Amino acid sequence: MIPERSASFARQQHRFFAFCVAPSLAALALITLLPALYLLATSFTQLSLTRPETQWDFSQPLESYRQLLSDSRLHNSVWVQVKLSFWTVLLQLLIGLLLALLLNMRTRLIEALRTVFLIPMVLPPIVVAIIWKVIYTPDISPMHGIFRALGWNVPALITDPDWALTSIIIADTWEWFPFTMLMVLAALQMMPQELLDAAKVDGASPWQLTRHITLPFIRGVLLVAGLFRLIDSIKAFPLIFILTDGGPGSLTEVTNYYSYLQAFNFSYLGFSSAITVALLAATIVLSWVIVRAVGWGTKID
Amino acid sequence: MQSLALVLVLLALAPFLWLLLMSFKTNAEIFRFPPRLLFDATLANYAALWTSEFRNSFVNSLVVSVASTVLSLLIGVPAAYALSRWTTRGGGAITLWILASRMAPPIAFTIPYFLVYRHLELLDTWTGLIVIYLTFNLSLVIWMMRPFYDQLPRSLEEAAWIDGATMWQGFYRIILPLSGPGLAATAILCFLFAWNDFFFALILTRTEAMTAPVAVVNFMNYEGWEWGRIAAGGTMIMLPVLVFSFVVRRYLVHGLTGGALKG
Repeated sequence: MIPERSASFARQQHRFFAFCVAPSLAALALITLLPALYLLATSFTQLSLTRPETQWDFSQPLESYRQLLSDSRLHNSVWVQVKLSFWTVLLQLLIGLLLALLLNMRTRLIEALRTVFLIPMVLPPIVVAIIWKVIYTPDISPMHGIFRALGWNVPALITDPDWALTSIIIADTWEWFPFTMLMVLAALQMMPQELLDAAKVDGASPWQLTRHITLPFIRGVLLVAGLFRLIDSIKAFPLIFILTDGGPGSLTEVTNYYSYLQAFNFSYLGFSSAITVALLAATIVLSWVIVRAVGWGTKID
Repeated sequence: MQSLALVLVLLALAPFLWLLLMSFKTNAEIFRFPPRLLFDATLANYAALWTSEFRNSFVNSLVVSVASTVLSLLIGVPAAYALSRWTTRGGGAITLWILASRMAPPIAFTIPYFLVYRHLELLDTWTGLIVIYLTFNLSLVIWMMRPFYDQLPRSLEEAAWIDGATMWQGFYRIILPLSGPGLAATAILCFLFAWNDFFFALILTRTEAMTAPVAVVNFMNYEGWEWGRIAAGGTMIMLPVLVFSFVVRRYLVHGLTGGALKG
């Protein structure tokens, strides 16, 4: 660089970079930080749209949080959430992993198929919900048509207490297995070929190769993919909104959905804010785990 | 092995193909089982959509998605460049902030925005949606573009500075054109995320600014079960998405995970 001007140059550079970053930081503060604080403030009130005087009433700041502890419908929603998250993440990782291992070949057809497999993931969530509404509506469903042809008497799954949550899990797994598949495939393609070749020379079977070399290599990616899916599963909304509306009863009512009902069906925005603050805290903790797992904070390229 | 993969693809995509076919069927055909392989395809469902309110909501979706994309690029791209070149101490904190705001459940933003928009009279407006879409698109731009700039050697703009270019010129004339492919991919992803949104539009719009995904759902609730039209509406919403996703398929993982994975 230019030595004699370097001091003033460094200052000039500093100022330019600050000028570039400032609008984004200001915008992010305005559109994400401020609303988050507003949400937190609302959670300390009993705000209900039907009673406007509750808007800035902080006389019982922890009342909403006290309700969190005693509301059994909320506790049920957390349990539903745990079941939904557990099964969808598990199934997506398994199916994604198996497909990635199957599709890890460099032929023209396979590469084309890989792209086609991505379709469920890129579809607008509302379209995914419509697709599954069709599948789960006996009158027009090809699936129910086949069941009838086989002489099986299958109830409408989304209104059946035994099947409602399972039907959501199936639809959600369908939507997101390509994500884990894609991540595993990307990792597989970075696997050092020498490692595999060496093991083959030593007479390792395909199963041994997978078990002792491939799986350990992609363990990290599986972890990260699982974490991303876990965070996303907390936001599950369109599928539940369209397919079951939280029902039957509250069997498919996840916490996010319950919070939505409290806020925009029952108008209890204060209580809903408290639920949402708890959800947000969970999200931030999980994001932090991701940042640590990936090592972003320390990344220097 | 390849034929197994082919069968799996067909199986996996059957639900999607079914909806596609349904959009070309008459009501009588939709309820027929077993379905006829060769049916008389009709465009009536699409024609019915085009003369209904759906057309307005389609335009709303288009306007809001494009505007939010352009705005996020304008604000976010210089920041991505600066953050790539500038080694700041708060880097880790900014990354966490960006990731967390992207990962936050939409309802966390919806409640405060809803309350504030009621007073600012921004409910059911284009502006209201464009602003709330920035919450995810601005972060997306910064973390999509930063790795692109990391890949471009600093010597590029340093050479321009030695030749007397200003910092701004170095960025605008040299760096920006070189990051063209990244910009295109980022723009498309921004558009898709805004286009795909359902929750924000469901809460923050009523009639005037209603977007296409919400309009399709309204077919279900208010106009009886017009399956043909629902399928046609769904198909129209997913069409631009499929085309664009194909174009940016290489960047999809990155866009969704923020480069948690290299390659």
